[in-house]
Amino acid sequence: MPTLMRRGTVAAAAVLVTALAAACAPGSSNDKPASKAPAAVSTDVAKAGNVTLTVWDQEVQGGLKEQIEKLNAQFEAKYPNVKIKRVSRSFSDLQKTLRLALSGSNPPDVVEANQGYASMAQYVKDGMLLPLGAYDQAYGWSKRYPKGLLDLNSVTKDGKLIGSGDLYGVSLNGEIVGLYYNKEKLAKLGIQPPKTWDEFEQALATAKGKGEVPIAFGNLEKLPAMQLYGILQDAATGKEAVRKLVFGSGGSWTDGPNVQAAQKLADWAKKGYLTKDSNAVKWDDTPVNFAKGEGLFMFGGTWWAPDLNDRMKDKVGFMLPPAPQAGAPVATMGGESLPWSITSKSKHADVAAAYINFITSPEAMNVAVQAGSLPVLPASTEPDKPLMKEVSAAWAELSKNDGTTPYIDYTTPTFTDAFGGPLQGLVAGKKSAQDAMKAAQDDYTAFQKKK
Amino acid sequence: MSRRYERILNHAVLALFAVVALFPMIGIVAQALQLPGNLSFDTFRVAWNEGHFAAYLRNSVIVTAVTVVLASTFSIMAGYALGVMRFRGAGAVFLLFLAGLTIPTEAVVVPLYFDLRSAGLDNSYAGLILPQVAMSVAFGTFWMRAYFRSVPPSLMEAARMDGASSWTTLWRVLVPVGRPAILTMVVLITMWTWNEFLLPLVIVNSDEGLRTAPLGLSFFQGAHKTDYSLLMAGALIIAAPIVIVYVFLQRRFIAGMLSGAIKE
Amino acid sequence: MTTVARQKTPEPGPEASGSSNARPAGRRARSRPPGEPRAVGWLYVLPALVVYGAFLLWPLVRGAQFSLYHWDGIGQATWAGLSNYTATWTDPTLRGAFGHLLVLIVFYAILPCCIAFVLVAVMSRTKIRGLTFFRTVLFMPQVIAMVAVAVAWQWVYSTHGPVNTVLGWLHALGLPDWRHGWLGDFTFALPAIGLVGTWVEIGLALVLFLAGVQKIPRELYEAARIDGAGAIREFFTVTLPGLRRELSVALTLTTIMAVRNFDLIYMATAGGPGDSTKVPAYEVYNRTFNTGEVGLGCAIGVTLAVLAFAITAGIGRLVEGKGE
Repeated sequence: MPTLMRRGTVAAAAVLVTALAAACAPGSSNDKPASKAPAAVSTDVAKAGNVTLTVWDQEVQGGLKEQIEKLNAQFEAKYPNVKIKRVSRSFSDLQKTLRLALSGSNPPDVVEANQGYASMAQYVKDGMLLPLGAYDQAYGWSKRYPKGLLDLNSVTKDGKLIGSGDLYGVSLNGEIVGLYYNKEKLAKLGIQPPKTWDEFEQALATAKGKGEVPIAFGNLEKLPAMQLYGILQDAATGKEAVRKLVFGSGGSWTDGPNVQAAQKLADWAKKGYLTKDSNAVKWDDTPVNFAKGEGLFMFGGTWWAPDLNDRMKDKVGFMLPPAPQAGAPVATMGGESLPWSITSKSKHADVAAAYINFITSPEAMNVAVQAGSLPVLPASTEPDKPLMKEVSAAWAELSKNDGTTPYIDYTTPTFTDAFGGPLQGLVAGKKSAQDAMKAAQDDYTAFQKKK
Repeated sequence: MSRRYERILNHAVLALFAVVALFPMIGIVAQALQLPGNLSFDTFRVAWNEGHFAAYLRNSVIVTAVTVVLASTFSIMAGYALGVMRFRGAGAVFLLFLAGLTIPTEAVVVPLYFDLRSAGLDNSYAGLILPQVAMSVAFGTFWMRAYFRSVPPSLMEAARMDGASSWTTLWRVLVPVGRPAILTMVVLITMWTWNEFLLPLVIVNSDEGLRTAPLGLSFFQGAHKTDYSLLMAGALIIAAPIVIVYVFLQRRFIAGMLSGAIKE
Repeated sequence: MTTVARQKTPEPGPEASGSSNARPAGRRARSRPPGEPRAVGWLYVLPALVVYGAFLLWPLVRGAQFSLYHWDGIGQATWAGLSNYTATWTDPTLRGAFGHLLVLIVFYAILPCCIAFVLVAVMSRTKIRGLTFFRTVLFMPQVIAMVAVAVAWQWVYSTHGPVNTVLGWLHALGLPDWRHGWLGDFTFALPAIGLVGTWVEIGLALVLFLAGVQKIPRELYEAARIDGAGAIREFFTVTLPGLRRELSVALTLTTIMAVRNFDLIYMATAGGPGDSTKVPAYEVYNRTFNTGEVGLGCAIGVTLAVLAFAITAGIGRLVEGKGE
């Protein structure tokens, strides 16, 4: 057998060498699609003939799912010649598969492509997304959205700078990473919802002393720790510095306040303020456990709100993260949900644009409210669910203060692993704050150099 | 230690490991049926509907059936030629197949993806089936060649005396006699193809209507990570077909493999 | 020689154990007068060869070629020489991944073989009632799709899963609290993954060894017993030497399974926490499709193929103690 094996190896090696010499270089056929702005834009969907529009979204939870199902149905009713093929998957599954699908021979027409250097900027650089300038002119999106929101969804053609260049998508929902609290438990412990970080620390200590889990936290996916860190960083560093840092225009991850934020996270973990073995708990399990009564507090996105409202009714509250001093403005991560983009290989770009316009129209914002989710633009209807009212109020306050900061996983294409990994180590007590921030800075420098 | 005690101890050791082997599976079944407590098939119904498992199982059946038929037919033919015929280059061809036995999917999946994409074969049955046929014929040819070499020459002599061509001899005489060996091969290829995950994950990257059962379970987990009983129902749905085949065919399955080993 | 490429299951292939048997057959074949034109053989081989060449060998060649370039999978590739291979050994994450592979080989190959030896010793010494049942049950993990196995074991290891429940009982009895979030623990995630592998592979090794034991002449056991050998000495003097060939097959197959550990990692940990369960098979996918380093992904893939060759060739020589 070994003899056969050896001969087999030799035979294979021989084939390999000969064939290698004959093969041509990868990518020389150049699949890169032309990403020119469409010269002539048609907004008349009815004339487009029978079209099946494939749409990939990540709206799998509660009210988010409901709103998009409604909007799709309305769009199909308005244009009977269009059939929407909706493919929805969780945020992490979408992240894992989108790049593959976009580079495939037959990508979907409309996708929710996450902002940042890890996703949208890369796709743009590789020519996978269609610049929307012409459609913006046709539909007037620049008038619909404030500039800050459009900037987040804009990037230069080479993928090097977010915030300028062409527009590549528009968003339907607003997002904040804020603080959920269990009203029932707070009342039992005689704690008021904390207004400042000092009060918050106090509450954590009290909860711990009473044998409660102070903060429900699940961090299997690495992203949750990055969001928790981001909140602490916003408090320690300030919004301007964070924005600059994430978008690559100044600052260092090893700057003092950034290290302090990591240190704070490490302290919380050490004091047992976070769910035990949080690195083994899945992100989406966190709100489920929280609803079951684990944790006084939970930092999380407003995308969890509709579901939590259904599960906990009036037992749950939502607020912006605590402020440095009472009444001071607060900054936190958020802004707009994943933008809806058109792929450059789509054969139905005009219909796709009409669809995107439809689901981000003022009427669509009302549908979002009715479904119990947070629309990115002001709607004319009021939310009826109690938690959604609090979310809506927090959103209004944050918008008024211009308090949104970018998610820090936008920073580099590899940041979730390069910084999220060390943060898992930090939470587990295996890595120091300095080491974790150095890992972040190393990845940051490497990426800036490559850009 | 008396023989009697030794026997009891031996059985105890075996029973312990049998329990360990079965435990996660029992856990799956119990969770999926919401046992102990209220026996209910509700989770199955929900998993079946929400997970689109009917469609995914159908895809798996199609892909597996076509792969098995093609791979077995090709393997029988190639094994026959390499086993009983003499022709120029036979040795080299056999070595080539032999070399393929150790190639892991991981080594070829990336180039396969890019080349199939250029050929427009990603998100297609062909893109799922042909690479799996290729992976299977390396083993199948090797396996069938060994079988054909073990066939008594008298059998082929007799057929030729009757004026049968090589083609007739193969399908009318040798294949019927070789059913046990072929069945073993078919079962193995069925199992590998059904359980394959990496290839469908990469090839079926956008058309979810083409997902195979294991791929479906992976996305089902993405959407329902919080709900273990639903997940377990999904796992049970995709694992059951092969386990059932195994339970029914295990005697011939294991016996076939053992006889292969013992014959040497 | 054993199949490795796809294989989760043993192939004590006819050829495997027996050049001694195959050869006479071959001689007979050769002495037979050729009944048909020789070229017909090619027609029979052709369909298999074409598919095999186009969808397995050619991609392997392309993979080797891609590995010599820096390529993001979309745009133009730039020549990289061997730098992707250098990166395989210098990048700390990748070096770590290969280190994890070594640990997993202990769990996937060595541990199952040891356990299977104990079981086979048990099964061969006395008459066992329900032998077929035990064999069927112990082999069953082999046939279950790895994705389903991953789902089941995530539950086993989960915060309130059976492992922690049992450890909780032990804690209540006064033992230290050993409960952990196993798959999210920097120390325990890799061994936890490894034990899943052990669980899967025991049956494979066992079936192979059982087949081997039946070939050991009964007289050897009787002789050993007349010499007054106990269970342990009997094992080392009779059973183990008689199973050398099967051991080599079992080690080869299980080691290859450790190398090809993608499904479980993708489903259960995605390489985390940190990088602590990253393995080369997962990095092939991760580098290619997540971070857009196609050349590097291919270099890892080619390295794995070479590794699989080397293991198949190497273990046979090592265990059987000869190059044949």
